[in-house]
Amino acid sequence: MSAAMAAPALAVEAIGLQKRFGEIQAVDGIDLALAPGRIYGLLGPNGSGKTTLIRLLTGLARATGGEARILGTKMPSRPMLAQIGYMPQAEAIYPDLSVGENLTFFARLEGKSDPAAIDRVLDLVELAGRKGTPALELSGGMRRRLSLACTLVHEPKVLFLDEPTVGVDPALRVQFWTHFRRLAAAGTTILVASHVMDEADRCDELVFVRNGKVIGRGTGAELRSNAGTDNLEAAFLILSGLDPEGRPLDGGAAA
Amino acid sequence: MNASRILAIARRIAQGFRRDERTLGLMFVVPLVVTSLLGWVLRDTKDTTVRIEIVNSDQVVGARIVSALSGLAGDPANGIVIAGTVATKGEAIDQIKAGNADLALVIPTDLVATVTAGQRPTLTVITEGTEPGAEASQFGKLQKAVATLAGSLAPPGSTPALIPQITHETVYLSPGADQVDVLAPIFLGFFGYFFVFLLTGISFLRERIGGTLERLLATPVTRTEIVFGYSLGFGAFATIQVIVLTLFILNSISVPAIGPLPPFSIGLGVGSAGSPVLAFLIALLLSIGAVNLGIFLSTFARTELQVIQFIPLVIVPQGLLGGLLTPVNQLPDALNVIAHVLPLTYAIEGLREVMLKGADLSSRVVQTDILVLAGIAIFFIVLASTTIKREVA
Repeated sequence: MSAAMAAPALAVEAIGLQKRFGEIQAVDGIDLALAPGRIYGLLGPNGSGKTTLIRLLTGLARATGGEARILGTKMPSRPMLAQIGYMPQAEAIYPDLSVGENLTFFARLEGKSDPAAIDRVLDLVELAGRKGTPALELSGGMRRRLSLACTLVHEPKVLFLDEPTVGVDPALRVQFWTHFRRLAAAGTTILVASHVMDEADRCDELVFVRNGKVIGRGTGAELRSNAGTDNLEAAFLILSGLDPEGRPLDGGAAA
Repeated sequence: MNASRILAIARRIAQGFRRDERTLGLMFVVPLVVTSLLGWVLRDTKDTTVRIEIVNSDQVVGARIVSALSGLAGDPANGIVIAGTVATKGEAIDQIKAGNADLALVIPTDLVATVTAGQRPTLTVITEGTEPGAEASQFGKLQKAVATLAGSLAPPGSTPALIPQITHETVYLSPGADQVDVLAPIFLGFFGYFFVFLLTGISFLRERIGGTLERLLATPVTRTEIVFGYSLGFGAFATIQVIVLTLFILNSISVPAIGPLPPFSIGLGVGSAGSPVLAFLIALLLSIGAVNLGIFLSTFARTELQVIQFIPLVIVPQGLLGGLLTPVNQLPDALNVIAHVLPLTYAIEGLREVMLKGADLSSRVVQTDILVLAGIAIFFIVLASTTIKREVA
């Protein structure tokens, strides 16, 4: 295993991954092979299985079939969690702790206690001036930023971000992506679940999922040309087997 | 003022209730359960037979009293039984301490002389002193029996029969101890349990619904570490609470009159016979169990309101059965069995032993209580960590 960890060919791997909740097949045989240092976009409508897939990959949920590997190690693996950063859709911060206390707490759980690392992520999410503010008093966007900071504070090798930029204003969103790009350049693998198509285009590679299955993968340009259209939204609909002019997917979120 | 807006609000509340069947159920079921439990405890409390140890210092008359009392004991209606006869008060106290007798009747050496002189003799009754309510009824039974026997107290030929005076002594505390002295250990156990359970339950529920538990589980932390961390964190607060409450119960500070305020005292000034450290250990074990019970039960709640709804189910019965209303050994049989699976019963028993009777670690009762409480704490720690595991399945 240590040999595999030393030079893993793939950062994230899924082989025929399945998850069934009673009658519902939430993840239905997904294969993934994510290379180190790249940003992947996981796109699909609400309920398509994006979050469940991330929970399977991080080992938070147990697969009913197939397997997931992170940096060559089969999940779930507790030691591997120190190499993973997971930002869930929920804010997942402690409202009664201050910004700094939240960060220190998560850093300690990950086994890191470098105060400089905390200041670095605070600068990144532009909350340096709010270190002593209780999270309760932050605006929605600020809480989102704090949640991201808590995910990054231990400098993980593999990042799973579930809708990371919801409620974040456009200017800061651009900064987030600049930072994601910088992390990727330093070797971090990032999987971003999103339904914002202009964000999708910032990813190196996209994975379209629908009903727990992968319905398309490749770069944005490849997906567009495969579908014979010039926009990703239409490409997704076509790959879903829907009329581009036809019925909208729920809440436009599918786009 | 718009009636349709008022109705809209009222309707919204009714609609919310309709979806929350549990709240609706609890609203009607819980008061019935608690009320019937209360009725059961109060009505069916066992009228136990009083076991009397007789200290017979006066061989002549004493022997006659013993045989007369034995005669009365033969009729179950009198509710008394002779546990034994000893020669000294000290031996009788030992019998009470060992739990072999409920009270002792001391027949004085000068009984004959007193009666011959035409004076009312004085009999001494010794009770344990830790259950004034229950002891008063035992005392009453003995008094009745003694009055019946008054005739046989007098030596043959002497008339008229003299009703003896009875003085009351206690093994523990003092005969003047009030209900507060006796309830102090119960307060200590009850509050320690109640608040810790409530705070942990709500706090852990927030972890579950707020996404932080999921987030924690995405770090290398183990479930056991989470449960231990919670026990330590809330245990620390429970510790402070127990210390403050213990100090308040045991001490009394007089505050002199300030301006228009009359003088008053802070604290209850209850005398503790035993080691406060031991009392504290018992309370701490109890609260570690409560922390993990809170974690466990938070699985079954979706909102803070539902955690609060556990109070009448989890806390109130423990209070009713743990010795707050009636001594546990006088509960109806079925309830006695239930009381003995509830942690508060053991904590209250242990705290009473230590605080009222001055028991230390050499006491079998205290040892048992501590072991049972530790066992319950471990049981709930395991149960709590299992529920965290299940969450992730």
